[in-house]
Amino acid sequence: MTTSDVRRTVVDWLDDNYHFGDAERLIGSDDRSFLENGILDSLGFVKLILYLEDTYKIKIDRNQLSPRNFDSLGLIVRYVTGHRDYRGVA
Amino acid sequence: MSLVDVDFAFWFPVVFGIYWLLPRKASYQNTLLLGFSYLFYFSWNPRLLPVLLLATAVDYGVSEYLATHVAPSADDSSAEAAGRRRARRYALILSLIYNLGALAYFKYAGFFAESLNRQLAALGFHASLPVLQVVLPLGISFYTLQKLGYIFDVYRGRLEPCRSLLVFTTFVAFFPQLIAGPISRGSQLIPQLAAPRQLRERQLVEGASSFLLGYVMKALVADTIGPTLVDPVFSQPAAYGPAAHWLALVGYAVQVFADFGGYSFLAIGCARFLGIELPVNFDYPYLSKSLPEFWRRWHITLNRWLFDYIYDPLVAGSGWWRGRFDAGLLLVFLTSGLWHGARVTFLVWGAMHGTGMIVHRHWDEFYRSLCRRDRAYVERRRSVPYRTMAWALTQFFFLVALIPFRAGSWGVVQTFSAGLLVGGQGFPTITQAAARVSVIVSFAFVAGYYLVKLPRFEGWWARFQALPAPIRGAVYGLVAVWLLLFVPLNATTFIYRQF
Repeated sequence: MTTSDVRRTVVDWLDDNYHFGDAERLIGSDDRSFLENGILDSLGFVKLILYLEDTYKIKIDRNQLSPRNFDSLGLIVRYVTGHRDYRGVA
Repeated sequence: MSLVDVDFAFWFPVVFGIYWLLPRKASYQNTLLLGFSYLFYFSWNPRLLPVLLLATAVDYGVSEYLATHVAPSADDSSAEAAGRRRARRYALILSLIYNLGALAYFKYAGFFAESLNRQLAALGFHASLPVLQVVLPLGISFYTLQKLGYIFDVYRGRLEPCRSLLVFTTFVAFFPQLIAGPISRGSQLIPQLAAPRQLRERQLVEGASSFLLGYVMKALVADTIGPTLVDPVFSQPAAYGPAAHWLALVGYAVQVFADFGGYSFLAIGCARFLGIELPVNFDYPYLSKSLPEFWRRWHITLNRWLFDYIYDPLVAGSGWWRGRFDAGLLLVFLTSGLWHGARVTFLVWGAMHGTGMIVHRHWDEFYRSLCRRDRAYVERRRSVPYRTMAWALTQFFFLVALIPFRAGSWGVVQTFSAGLLVGGQGFPTITQAAARVSVIVSFAFVAGYYLVKLPRFEGWWARFQALPAPIRGAVYGLVAVWLLLFVPLNATTFIYRQF
Protein backbone atom coordinates (compact mmCIF):
# COMPACT_ATOMS: atom_id res chain seq x y z
CA MET A 1 0.00 0.00 0.00
CA THR A 2 1.54 3.29 -1.06
CA THR A 3 0.92 6.93 -0.44
CA SER A 4 -1.15 7.17 -3.60
CA ASP A 5 -3.32 4.24 -2.41
CA VAL A 6 -4.11 6.01 0.86
CA ARG A 7 -4.82 9.15 -1.12
CA ARG A 8 -7.23 7.21 -3.35
CA THR A 9 -8.93 5.69 -0.29
CA VAL A 10 -9.59 9.12 1.22
CA VAL A 11 -10.83 10.62 -2.07
CA ASP A 12 -13.12 7.61 -2.60
CA TRP A 13 -14.48 7.99 0.91
CA LEU A 14 -15.16 11.68 0.28
CA ASP A 15 -16.88 10.80 -2.98
CA ASP A 16 -18.97 8.05 -1.38
CA ASN A 17 -20.03 10.16 1.55
CA TYR A 18 -20.01 13.79 0.55
CA HIS A 19 -19.14 14.78 -3.00
CA PHE A 20 -20.28 11.95 -5.28
CA GLY A 21 -17.65 12.21 -7.96
CA ASP A 22 -16.65 15.83 -7.33
CA ALA A 23 -14.14 15.26 -4.53
CA GLU A 24 -11.03 15.39 -6.72
CA ARG A 25 -12.16 18.61 -8.37
CA LEU A 26 -13.04 20.24 -5.02
CA ILE A 27 -9.78 19.19 -3.40
CA GLY A 28 -7.78 20.73 -6.24
CA SER A 29 -4.38 20.50 -4.59
CA ASP A 30 -3.33 18.26 -1.72
CA ASP A 31 -2.51 21.14 0.61
CA ARG A 32 -5.93 22.80 0.24
CA SER A 33 -7.75 23.23 3.57
CA PHE A 34 -10.75 20.91 3.90
CA LEU A 35 -12.46 23.11 6.46
CA GLU A 36 -11.98 26.45 4.74
CA ASN A 37 -13.08 25.14 1.36
CA GLY A 38 -16.15 23.25 2.49
CA ILE A 39 -14.69 19.87 1.57
CA LEU A 40 -15.34 18.44 5.02
CA ASP A 41 -16.87 19.87 8.20
CA SER A 42 -15.81 19.11 11.75
CA LEU A 43 -18.49 16.42 12.15
CA GLY A 44 -17.25 14.80 8.95
CA PHE A 45 -13.69 14.79 10.29
CA VAL A 46 -14.71 12.60 13.20
CA LYS A 47 -16.30 10.13 10.76
CA LEU A 48 -13.20 10.15 8.56
CA ILE A 49 -10.93 9.50 11.53
CA LEU A 50 -13.07 6.52 12.61
CA TYR A 51 -13.00 5.21 9.03
CA LEU A 52 -9.21 5.52 8.78
CA GLU A 53 -8.73 3.80 12.15
CA ASP A 54 -10.99 0.93 11.13
CA THR A 55 -9.56 0.61 7.61
CA TYR A 56 -5.88 0.69 8.53
CA LYS A 57 -6.15 -0.69 12.06
CA ILE A 58 -4.24 2.26 13.42
CA LYS A 59 -4.93 4.27 16.53
CA ILE A 60 -4.82 7.99 15.91
CA ASP A 61 -3.30 9.81 18.85
CA ARG A 62 -6.12 11.57 20.70
CA ASN A 63 -3.78 14.45 21.45
CA GLN A 64 -3.53 15.07 17.73
CA LEU A 65 -7.22 14.56 17.15
CA SER A 66 -8.01 17.96 15.76
CA PRO A 67 -9.27 19.04 12.34
CA ARG A 68 -6.33 21.40 12.25
CA ASN A 69 -3.93 18.47 12.15
CA PHE A 70 -5.88 16.74 9.40
CA ASP A 71 -7.04 19.70 7.44
CA SER A 72 -5.84 18.70 3.97
CA LEU A 73 -5.44 15.59 1.90
CA GLY A 74 -1.65 15.85 2.10
CA LEU A 75 -1.67 16.08 5.93
CA ILE A 76 -4.02 13.10 6.24
CA VAL A 77 -2.02 10.90 3.87
CA ARG A 78 1.26 11.87 5.56
CA TYR A 79 -0.16 11.10 8.99
CA VAL A 80 -1.60 7.71 8.03
CA THR A 81 1.41 6.45 6.05
CA GLY A 82 3.76 7.75 8.75
CA HIS A 83 1.89 6.00 11.55
CA ARG A 84 3.99 3.42 13.33
CA ASP A 85 1.25 0.74 13.06
CA TYR A 86 0.47 1.43 9.44
CA ARG A 87 0.72 -1.74 7.31
CA GLY A 88 -1.75 -0.94 4.53
CA VAL A 89 -5.33 -2.21 4.51
CA ALA A 90 -5.80 -4.84 7.23
CA MET B 1 -19.16 49.25 33.64
CA SER B 2 -19.83 47.58 30.30
CA LEU B 3 -18.46 48.15 26.83
CA VAL B 4 -21.33 50.51 25.96
CA ASP B 5 -21.43 52.50 29.22
CA VAL B 6 -20.60 56.17 29.58
CA ASP B 7 -18.01 55.16 32.21
CA PHE B 8 -16.31 52.94 29.68
CA ALA B 9 -16.39 55.70 27.06
CA PHE B 10 -14.43 57.80 29.58
CA TRP B 11 -12.00 55.14 30.78
CA PHE B 12 -11.16 53.37 27.55
CA PRO B 13 -9.54 56.36 25.78
CA VAL B 14 -7.43 56.91 28.92
CA VAL B 15 -6.29 53.27 28.94
CA PHE B 16 -5.77 53.35 25.17
CA GLY B 17 -3.60 56.50 25.45
CA ILE B 18 -1.44 55.21 28.28
CA TYR B 19 -1.17 51.77 26.63
CA TRP B 20 0.37 53.17 23.48
CA LEU B 21 2.49 55.74 25.31
CA LEU B 22 4.14 53.02 27.36
CA PRO B 23 7.42 51.52 26.13
CA ARG B 24 6.59 48.64 23.78
CA LYS B 25 7.28 45.93 26.34
CA ALA B 26 4.82 43.09 26.93
CA SER B 27 5.22 43.32 30.72
CA TYR B 28 4.23 47.02 30.82
CA GLN B 29 1.36 46.52 28.41
CA ASN B 30 0.05 43.46 30.27
CA THR B 31 0.32 45.15 33.67
CA LEU B 32 -1.89 47.97 32.42
CA LEU B 33 -4.34 45.56 30.76
CA LEU B 34 -4.56 43.43 33.88
CA GLY B 35 -5.02 46.42 36.18
CA PHE B 36 -7.83 47.82 34.03
CA SER B 37 -9.40 44.37 33.59
CA TYR B 38 -9.63 43.94 37.36
CA LEU B 39 -10.98 47.48 37.74
CA PHE B 40 -13.54 46.67 35.01
CA TYR B 41 -14.59 43.52 36.87
CA PHE B 42 -14.46 45.23 40.26
CA SER B 43 -16.86 47.92 39.00
CA TRP B 44 -19.60 45.29 38.56
CA ASN B 45 -19.39 43.81 42.00
CA PRO B 46 -16.32 44.21 44.23
CA ARG B 47 -17.16 41.06 46.21
CA LEU B 48 -16.83 38.85 43.13
CA LEU B 49 -13.25 39.79 42.27
CA PRO B 50 -11.81 37.24 44.77
CA VAL B 51 -13.74 34.48 42.93
CA LEU B 52 -11.96 35.41 39.72
CA LEU B 53 -8.59 35.68 41.50
CA LEU B 54 -8.98 32.27 43.13
CA ALA B 55 -10.08 30.65 39.87
CA THR B 56 -7.02 32.10 38.15
CA ALA B 57 -4.68 31.00 40.95
CA VAL B 58 -5.94 27.40 40.90
CA ASP B 59 -5.44 26.96 37.18
CA TYR B 60 -2.10 28.73 37.17
CA GLY B 61 -1.03 26.27 39.89
CA VAL B 62 -2.26 23.29 37.86
CA SER B 63 -0.56 24.67 34.75
CA GLU B 64 2.73 25.06 36.63
CA TYR B 65 2.42 21.53 37.96
CA LEU B 66 1.89 20.18 34.42
CA ALA B 67 4.83 22.26 33.21
CA THR B 68 7.18 20.75 35.80
CA HIS B 69 5.81 17.20 35.42
CA VAL B 70 6.29 16.73 31.70
CA ALA B 71 4.25 13.94 30.08
CA PRO B 72 6.37 10.84 29.39
CA SER B 73 6.52 9.57 25.82
CA ALA B 74 3.75 7.19 24.73
CA ASP B 75 6.07 4.15 24.55
CA ASP B 76 7.63 4.68 28.00
CA SER B 77 6.14 1.94 30.18
CA SER B 78 8.36 2.37 33.24
CA ALA B 79 6.90 2.70 36.73
CA GLU B 80 8.20 6.26 36.93
CA ALA B 81 6.37 7.17 33.71
CA ALA B 82 3.16 5.58 34.99
CA GLY B 83 3.45 7.58 38.20
CA ARG B 84 3.99 10.80 36.31
CA ARG B 85 0.99 10.12 34.07
CA ARG B 86 -1.12 9.49 37.17
CA ALA B 87 0.09 12.68 38.83
CA ARG B 88 -0.75 14.72 35.70
CA ARG B 89 -4.20 13.14 35.60
CA TYR B 90 -4.80 14.10 39.25
CA ALA B 91 -3.79 17.69 38.43
CA LEU B 92 -6.30 17.73 35.57
CA ILE B 93 -9.01 16.29 37.85
CA LEU B 94 -8.26 18.97 40.45
CA SER B 95 -8.79 21.68 37.83
CA LEU B 96 -11.99 20.01 36.64
CA ILE B 97 -13.36 19.67 40.17
CA TYR B 98 -12.58 23.28 41.00
CA ASN B 99 -13.93 24.77 37.76
CA LEU B 100 -17.03 22.61 37.43
CA GLY B 101 -17.61 22.79 41.18
CA ALA B 102 -17.54 26.60 41.09
CA LEU B 103 -19.94 26.62 38.13
CA ALA B 104 -22.23 24.13 39.87
CA TYR B 105 -22.20 26.12 43.10
CA PHE B 106 -22.74 29.57 41.65
CA LYS B 107 -24.94 28.68 38.73
CA TYR B 108 -26.85 25.51 39.43
CA ALA B 109 -27.03 24.89 43.19
CA GLY B 110 -30.24 26.88 43.60
CA PHE B 111 -31.81 25.28 40.53
CA PHE B 112 -31.09 21.71 41.67
CA ALA B 113 -32.23 22.33 45.24
CA GLU B 114 -35.45 23.90 44.02
CA SER B 115 -36.08 21.08 41.52
CA LEU B 116 -35.43 18.44 44.17
CA ASN B 117 -37.76 20.15 46.63
CA ARG B 118 -40.47 20.23 43.96
CA GLN B 119 -40.00 16.57 43.06
CA LEU B 120 -40.05 15.49 46.70
CA ALA B 121 -43.18 17.57 47.30
CA ALA B 122 -44.85 15.89 44.32
CA LEU B 123 -44.09 12.54 45.92
CA GLY B 124 -45.64 13.65 49.19
CA PHE B 125 -42.42 14.45 51.09
CA HIS B 126 -42.10 17.94 52.40
CA ALA B 127 -38.36 18.26 52.38
CA SER B 128 -36.91 21.72 52.24
CA LEU B 129 -33.36 21.72 51.07
CA PRO B 130 -31.92 25.18 51.58
CA VAL B 131 -32.12 27.05 48.29
CA LEU B 132 -28.95 29.08 47.95
CA GLN B 133 -29.35 32.65 46.81
CA VAL B 134 -25.86 33.26 45.50
CA VAL B 135 -24.87 36.09 43.20
CA LEU B 136 -23.65 34.68 39.90
CA PRO B 137 -20.10 35.90 39.28
CA LEU B 138 -20.13 37.78 36.02
CA GLY B 139 -18.56 35.97 33.10
CA ILE B 140 -17.93 32.78 35.10
CA SER B 141 -19.33 30.58 32.29
CA PHE B 142 -17.01 32.22 29.78
CA TYR B 143 -13.74 32.39 31.70
CA THR B 144 -14.26 28.90 33.14
CA LEU B 145 -14.46 27.38 29.65
CA GLN B 146 -11.50 29.45 28.51
CA LYS B 147 -9.36 28.21 31.42
CA LEU B 148 -10.55 24.61 31.06
CA GLY B 149 -9.74 24.63 27.34
CA TYR B 150 -6.25 25.87 28.20
CA ILE B 151 -5.74 23.16 30.84
CA PHE B 152 -6.98 20.41 28.45
CA ASP B 153 -4.60 21.63 25.75
CA VAL B 154 -1.63 21.74 28.12
CA TYR B 155 -2.50 18.32 29.54
CA ARG B 156 -2.74 16.80 26.06
CA GLY B 157 0.54 18.39 25.01
CA ARG B 158 -1.10 20.53 22.35
CA LEU B 159 0.02 23.73 24.03
CA GLU B 160 3.15 24.79 25.90
CA PRO B 161 2.23 25.80 29.47
CA CYS B 162 2.25 29.54 30.06
CA ARG B 163 4.94 30.07 32.73
CA SER B 164 4.40 33.81 33.18
CA LEU B 165 1.90 34.62 35.93
CA LEU B 166 1.30 38.07 34.41
CA VAL B 167 0.53 36.69 30.94
CA PHE B 168 -1.69 33.94 32.36
CA THR B 169 -3.72 36.29 34.57
CA THR B 170 -4.15 38.70 31.65
CA PHE B 171 -5.24 35.79 29.45
CA VAL B 172 -7.99 34.92 31.94
CA ALA B 173 -9.10 38.46 32.80
CA PHE B 174 -8.61 40.34 29.50
CA PHE B 175 -11.48 42.83 29.88
CA PRO B 176 -13.03 42.95 26.37
CA GLN B 177 -13.87 39.24 26.48
CA LEU B 178 -14.13 38.68 30.25
CA ILE B 179 -17.88 39.22 30.58
CA ALA B 180 -19.34 37.50 27.51
CA GLY B 181 -16.58 36.08 25.34
CA PRO B 182 -15.54 35.33 22.65
CA ILE B 183 -14.02 32.30 24.38
CA SER B 184 -10.40 32.42 23.28
CA ARG B 185 -7.98 29.53 23.01
CA GLY B 186 -4.68 29.65 24.82
CA SER B 187 -2.90 28.83 21.58
CA GLN B 188 -4.33 31.96 20.01
CA LEU B 189 -4.32 34.57 22.77
CA ILE B 190 -1.32 33.70 24.96
CA PRO B 191 1.34 34.16 22.24
CA GLN B 192 -0.16 37.59 21.46
CA LEU B 193 -0.01 38.60 25.12
CA ALA B 194 3.51 37.26 25.52
CA ALA B 195 4.84 39.48 22.72
CA PRO B 196 5.00 43.29 22.72
CA ARG B 197 2.26 44.89 20.66
CA GLN B 198 3.02 47.55 18.06
CA LEU B 199 0.62 50.30 17.02
CA ARG B 200 -0.53 49.84 13.42
CA GLU B 201 -2.99 51.91 11.44
CA ARG B 202 -4.75 48.80 10.11
CA GLN B 203 -5.55 47.65 13.67
CA LEU B 204 -7.13 50.99 14.48
CA VAL B 205 -9.26 50.93 11.33
CA GLU B 206 -10.40 47.34 12.01
CA GLY B 207 -10.98 48.13 15.67
CA ALA B 208 -13.04 51.24 14.88
CA SER B 209 -15.24 49.52 12.29
CA SER B 210 -15.84 46.47 14.50
CA PHE B 211 -16.58 48.66 17.53
CA LEU B 212 -18.96 50.88 15.57
CA LEU B 213 -20.73 47.86 14.11
CA GLY B 214 -21.07 46.32 17.58
CA TYR B 215 -22.32 49.58 19.04
CA VAL B 216 -24.99 50.00 16.36
CA MET B 217 -26.03 46.35 16.76
CA LYS B 218 -26.32 46.61 20.52
CA ALA B 219 -27.36 50.16 21.31
CA LEU B 220 -29.61 50.72 18.31
CA VAL B 221 -30.93 47.37 17.04
CA ALA B 222 -31.10 45.18 20.15
CA ASP B 223 -32.17 47.95 22.53
CA THR B 224 -34.85 49.22 20.15
CA ILE B 225 -36.44 45.97 19.04
CA GLY B 226 -36.37 44.25 22.45
CA PRO B 227 -38.43 46.75 24.45
CA THR B 228 -40.83 47.67 21.62
CA LEU B 229 -41.71 44.38 19.90
CA VAL B 230 -40.42 41.50 22.03
CA ASP B 231 -40.73 42.18 25.76
CA PRO B 232 -44.40 43.25 25.78
CA VAL B 233 -45.57 40.09 23.99
CA PHE B 234 -43.41 37.66 25.99
CA SER B 235 -44.49 39.26 29.27
CA GLN B 236 -48.23 39.00 28.46
CA PRO B 237 -48.62 36.50 25.60
CA ALA B 238 -52.35 36.01 26.18
CA ALA B 239 -53.07 39.67 25.44
CA TYR B 240 -51.63 39.62 21.93
CA GLY B 241 -52.70 38.10 18.62
CA PRO B 242 -50.81 35.68 16.34
CA ALA B 243 -49.31 38.43 14.16
CA ALA B 244 -47.82 40.09 17.26
CA HIS B 245 -46.43 36.72 18.39
CA TRP B 246 -44.71 36.06 15.07
CA LEU B 247 -43.36 39.59 14.97
CA ALA B 248 -42.06 39.20 18.54
CA LEU B 249 -40.38 35.93 17.63
CA VAL B 250 -38.69 37.34 14.53
CA GLY B 251 -37.86 40.45 16.55
CA TYR B 252 -36.26 38.32 19.24
CA ALA B 253 -34.14 36.50 16.64
CA VAL B 254 -32.90 39.90 15.45
CA GLN B 255 -32.48 41.16 19.02
CA VAL B 256 -30.50 38.21 20.33
CA PHE B 257 -28.22 38.26 17.29
CA ALA B 258 -27.70 42.02 17.54
CA ASP B 259 -27.19 41.83 21.30
CA PHE B 260 -24.72 38.98 21.51
CA GLY B 261 -23.22 39.42 18.05
CA GLY B 262 -22.97 43.13 18.88
CA TYR B 263 -21.12 42.41 22.12
CA SER B 264 -18.72 40.14 20.25
CA PHE B 265 -18.02 42.85 17.67
CA LEU B 266 -17.48 45.37 20.48
CA ALA B 267 -15.07 43.01 22.26
CA ILE B 268 -13.19 42.23 19.04
CA GLY B 269 -13.01 45.93 18.21
CA CYS B 270 -11.76 46.90 21.69
CA ALA B 271 -9.09 44.22 21.60
CA ARG B 272 -8.06 45.28 18.10
CA PHE B 273 -7.46 48.85 19.36
CA LEU B 274 -4.99 47.30 21.78
CA GLY B 275 -3.25 45.24 19.09
CA ILE B 276 -4.91 41.94 20.08
CA GLU B 277 -6.89 39.74 17.71
CA LEU B 278 -9.83 37.85 19.22
CA PRO B 279 -11.58 35.01 17.38
CA VAL B 280 -14.65 35.67 15.24
CA ASN B 281 -17.81 34.65 17.11
CA PHE B 282 -20.60 35.21 14.55
CA ASP B 283 -20.36 34.63 10.82
CA TYR B 284 -23.73 35.57 9.31
CA PRO B 285 -25.64 32.71 10.97
CA TYR B 286 -28.96 33.70 9.40
CA LEU B 287 -27.64 32.72 5.99
CA SER B 288 -27.18 29.07 7.08
CA LYS B 289 -28.89 26.36 5.08
CA SER B 290 -28.55 23.55 7.63
CA LEU B 291 -28.34 23.23 11.41
CA PRO B 292 -24.71 22.05 11.42
CA GLU B 293 -23.84 25.08 9.30
CA PHE B 294 -25.83 27.30 11.68
CA TRP B 295 -23.80 26.10 14.65
CA ARG B 296 -20.58 26.72 12.77
CA ARG B 297 -21.66 30.34 12.37
CA TRP B 298 -23.44 31.15 15.65
CA HIS B 299 -21.48 31.59 18.90
CA ILE B 300 -18.61 29.90 17.09
CA THR B 301 -16.19 29.88 20.00
CA LEU B 302 -18.60 28.12 22.38
CA ASN B 303 -19.64 25.51 19.82
CA ARG B 304 -16.07 24.81 18.78
CA TRP B 305 -15.22 24.38 22.44
CA LEU B 306 -18.07 21.90 22.97
CA PHE B 307 -17.18 19.89 19.87
CA ASP B 308 -13.41 19.95 20.44
CA TYR B 309 -13.49 19.05 24.14
CA ILE B 310 -16.65 16.95 24.45
CA TYR B 311 -17.90 15.56 21.13
CA ASP B 312 -14.64 14.70 19.36
CA PRO B 313 -12.88 12.94 22.26
CA LEU B 314 -16.01 10.94 23.08
CA VAL B 315 -17.30 10.00 19.65
CA ALA B 316 -13.87 9.38 18.16
CA GLY B 317 -12.60 7.87 21.40
CA SER B 318 -12.43 4.23 22.34
CA GLY B 319 -15.19 3.69 24.91
CA TRP B 320 -18.96 3.27 24.74
CA TRP B 321 -19.33 6.61 22.97
CA ARG B 322 -17.18 5.63 19.98
CA GLY B 323 -19.16 6.12 16.76
CA ARG B 324 -22.32 7.10 18.67
CA PHE B 325 -22.86 10.29 16.73
CA ASP B 326 -26.45 10.85 17.86
CA ALA B 327 -25.67 10.44 21.54
CA GLY B 328 -22.70 12.78 21.12
CA LEU B 329 -24.83 15.46 19.45
CA LEU B 330 -27.51 15.24 22.11
CA LEU B 331 -24.93 15.49 24.88
CA VAL B 332 -23.28 18.54 23.30
CA PHE B 333 -26.53 20.45 22.94
CA LEU B 334 -27.87 19.49 26.35
CA THR B 335 -24.57 20.75 27.77
CA SER B 336 -24.97 23.92 25.73
CA GLY B 337 -28.48 24.36 27.13
CA LEU B 338 -27.29 23.84 30.68
CA TRP B 339 -24.35 26.17 30.09
CA HIS B 340 -26.78 28.93 29.15
CA GLY B 341 -28.50 28.74 32.49
CA ALA B 342 -30.12 26.83 35.27
CA ARG B 343 -33.60 26.65 33.78
CA VAL B 344 -35.67 23.79 32.39
CA THR B 345 -36.45 25.91 29.33
CA PHE B 346 -32.73 26.07 28.42
CA LEU B 347 -32.55 22.28 28.66
CA VAL B 348 -35.59 22.05 26.38
CA TRP B 349 -33.88 24.42 23.94
CA GLY B 350 -30.73 22.25 24.04
CA ALA B 351 -32.76 19.07 23.56
CA MET B 352 -34.57 20.63 20.58
CA HIS B 353 -31.31 21.52 18.86
CA GLY B 354 -29.71 18.18 19.72
CA THR B 355 -32.72 16.41 18.21
CA GLY B 356 -32.68 18.75 15.23
CA MET B 357 -29.03 17.92 14.57
CA ILE B 358 -29.78 14.19 14.81
CA VAL B 359 -32.73 14.45 12.42
CA HIS B 360 -30.58 16.44 10.00
CA ARG B 361 -27.79 13.84 10.26
CA HIS B 362 -30.17 11.00 9.34
CA TRP B 363 -31.78 13.01 6.55
CA ASP B 364 -28.30 13.76 5.23
CA GLU B 365 -27.34 10.05 5.32
CA PHE B 366 -30.56 9.17 3.51
CA TYR B 367 -30.11 11.84 0.88
CA ARG B 368 -26.52 10.77 0.29
CA SER B 369 -27.71 7.23 -0.34
CA LEU B 370 -29.97 8.72 -3.06
CA CYS B 371 -27.02 10.62 -4.49
CA ARG B 372 -24.97 7.43 -4.71
CA ARG B 373 -27.73 5.82 -6.75
CA ASP B 374 -28.54 8.74 -8.98
CA ARG B 375 -26.37 11.79 -9.62
CA ALA B 376 -29.45 13.84 -10.45
CA TYR B 377 -29.96 14.17 -6.67
CA VAL B 378 -26.58 15.89 -6.37
CA GLU B 379 -27.67 18.51 -8.88
CA ARG B 380 -31.07 18.78 -7.20
CA ARG B 381 -29.37 19.59 -3.92
CA ARG B 382 -27.52 22.47 -5.56
CA SER B 383 -30.66 23.90 -7.13
CA VAL B 384 -32.16 27.19 -5.93
CA PRO B 385 -35.48 25.64 -4.74
CA TYR B 386 -33.65 23.01 -2.63
CA ARG B 387 -31.31 25.57 -1.13
CA THR B 388 -34.16 28.01 -0.47
CA MET B 389 -36.19 25.30 1.23
CA ALA B 390 -33.17 24.20 3.29
CA TRP B 391 -32.55 27.80 4.37
CA ALA B 392 -36.21 28.37 5.27
CA LEU B 393 -36.45 25.15 7.28
CA THR B 394 -33.22 25.88 9.17
CA GLN B 395 -34.26 29.41 10.08
CA PHE B 396 -37.79 28.36 10.98
CA PHE B 397 -36.45 25.68 13.30
CA PHE B 398 -34.09 28.13 14.98
CA LEU B 399 -36.95 30.60 15.35
CA VAL B 400 -39.29 28.11 17.00
CA ALA B 401 -36.53 26.87 19.31
CA LEU B 402 -36.08 30.46 20.50
CA ILE B 403 -39.41 30.25 22.35
CA PRO B 404 -38.09 28.19 25.28
CA PHE B 405 -34.81 30.11 25.08
CA ARG B 406 -36.58 33.43 25.64
CA ALA B 407 -39.46 32.30 27.86
CA GLY B 408 -38.74 32.47 31.55
CA SER B 409 -40.92 29.50 32.42
CA TRP B 410 -42.66 26.50 30.93
CA GLY B 411 -46.01 28.27 31.32
CA VAL B 412 -44.87 31.12 29.07
CA VAL B 413 -43.60 28.58 26.50
CA GLN B 414 -47.07 27.03 26.34
CA THR B 415 -49.00 30.29 26.23
CA PHE B 416 -46.67 31.87 23.70
CA SER B 417 -46.66 28.77 21.44
CA ALA B 418 -50.47 28.66 21.46
CA GLY B 419 -50.54 32.39 20.73
CA LEU B 420 -48.69 31.83 17.45
CA LEU B 421 -51.86 30.21 16.13
CA VAL B 422 -54.78 31.69 18.06
CA GLY B 423 -55.17 34.26 20.78
CA GLY B 424 -56.02 37.84 21.62
CA GLN B 425 -56.24 40.81 19.30
CA GLY B 426 -53.50 42.99 20.76
CA PHE B 427 -50.57 44.36 18.81
CA PRO B 428 -47.61 46.26 20.28
CA THR B 429 -48.11 49.98 19.82
CA ILE B 430 -45.18 52.32 19.45
CA THR B 431 -46.42 55.77 20.30
CA GLN B 432 -43.29 57.85 19.68
CA ALA B 433 -42.50 58.63 16.04
CA ALA B 434 -38.73 58.49 16.76
CA ALA B 435 -39.10 54.98 18.18
CA ARG B 436 -41.03 53.88 15.08
CA VAL B 437 -38.24 55.20 12.88
CA SER B 438 -35.66 53.41 15.05
CA VAL B 439 -37.52 50.10 14.65
CA ILE B 440 -37.59 50.45 10.86
CA VAL B 441 -33.94 51.54 10.73
CA SER B 442 -32.96 48.61 13.00
CA PHE B 443 -34.57 46.00 10.75
CA ALA B 444 -33.15 47.73 7.67
CA PHE B 445 -29.67 47.78 9.21
CA VAL B 446 -29.68 44.04 9.98
CA ALA B 447 -31.15 43.24 6.55
CA GLY B 448 -28.46 45.37 4.91
CA TYR B 449 -25.76 43.73 7.01
CA TYR B 450 -26.82 40.33 5.67
CA LEU B 451 -27.55 41.49 2.14
CA VAL B 452 -24.01 42.70 1.48
CA LYS B 453 -22.81 39.18 2.29
CA LEU B 454 -24.92 37.65 -0.50
CA PRO B 455 -22.97 37.00 -3.72
CA ARG B 456 -25.16 39.38 -5.69
CA PHE B 457 -24.45 42.33 -3.37
CA GLU B 458 -21.02 41.38 -2.04
CA GLY B 459 -19.29 43.91 -4.27
CA TRP B 460 -21.18 46.81 -2.70
CA TRP B 461 -19.31 46.74 0.58
CA ALA B 462 -15.99 46.32 -1.22
CA ARG B 463 -16.85 49.31 -3.40
CA PHE B 464 -17.71 51.38 -0.32
CA GLN B 465 -14.42 50.41 1.32
CA ALA B 466 -12.57 51.42 -1.84
CA LEU B 467 -13.96 54.97 -1.63
CA PRO B 468 -11.54 57.74 -0.59
CA ALA B 469 -10.96 57.88 3.16
CA PRO B 470 -12.63 61.33 3.63
CA ILE B 471 -15.88 60.03 2.11
CA ARG B 472 -15.88 56.91 4.26
CA GLY B 473 -14.95 59.04 7.26
CA ALA B 474 -17.88 61.35 6.56
CA VAL B 475 -20.28 58.38 6.39
CA TYR B 476 -18.96 56.96 9.67
CA GLY B 477 -19.20 60.44 11.18
CA LEU B 478 -22.84 60.78 10.13
CA VAL B 479 -23.61 57.38 11.66
CA ALA B 480 -21.89 58.44 14.89
CA VAL B 481 -23.82 61.74 15.03
CA TRP B 482 -27.08 59.94 14.33
CA LEU B 483 -26.31 57.47 17.11
CA LEU B 484 -25.53 60.26 19.56
CA LEU B 485 -28.76 62.03 18.71
CA PHE B 486 -31.15 59.10 18.72
CA VAL B 487 -29.64 56.29 20.73
CA PRO B 488 -29.71 56.64 24.50
CA LEU B 489 -26.39 56.38 26.28
CA ASN B 490 -26.06 53.66 28.91
CA ALA B 491 -27.75 50.95 26.92
CA THR B 492 -29.54 48.18 28.75
CA THR B 493 -27.75 45.09 29.93
CA PHE B 494 -26.46 42.43 27.56
CA ILE B 495 -28.54 39.25 27.24
CA TYR B 496 -25.50 37.01 27.26
CA ARG B 497 -24.03 38.67 30.33
CA GLN B 498 -26.48 36.66 32.44
CA PHE B 499 -24.96 33.40 31.20
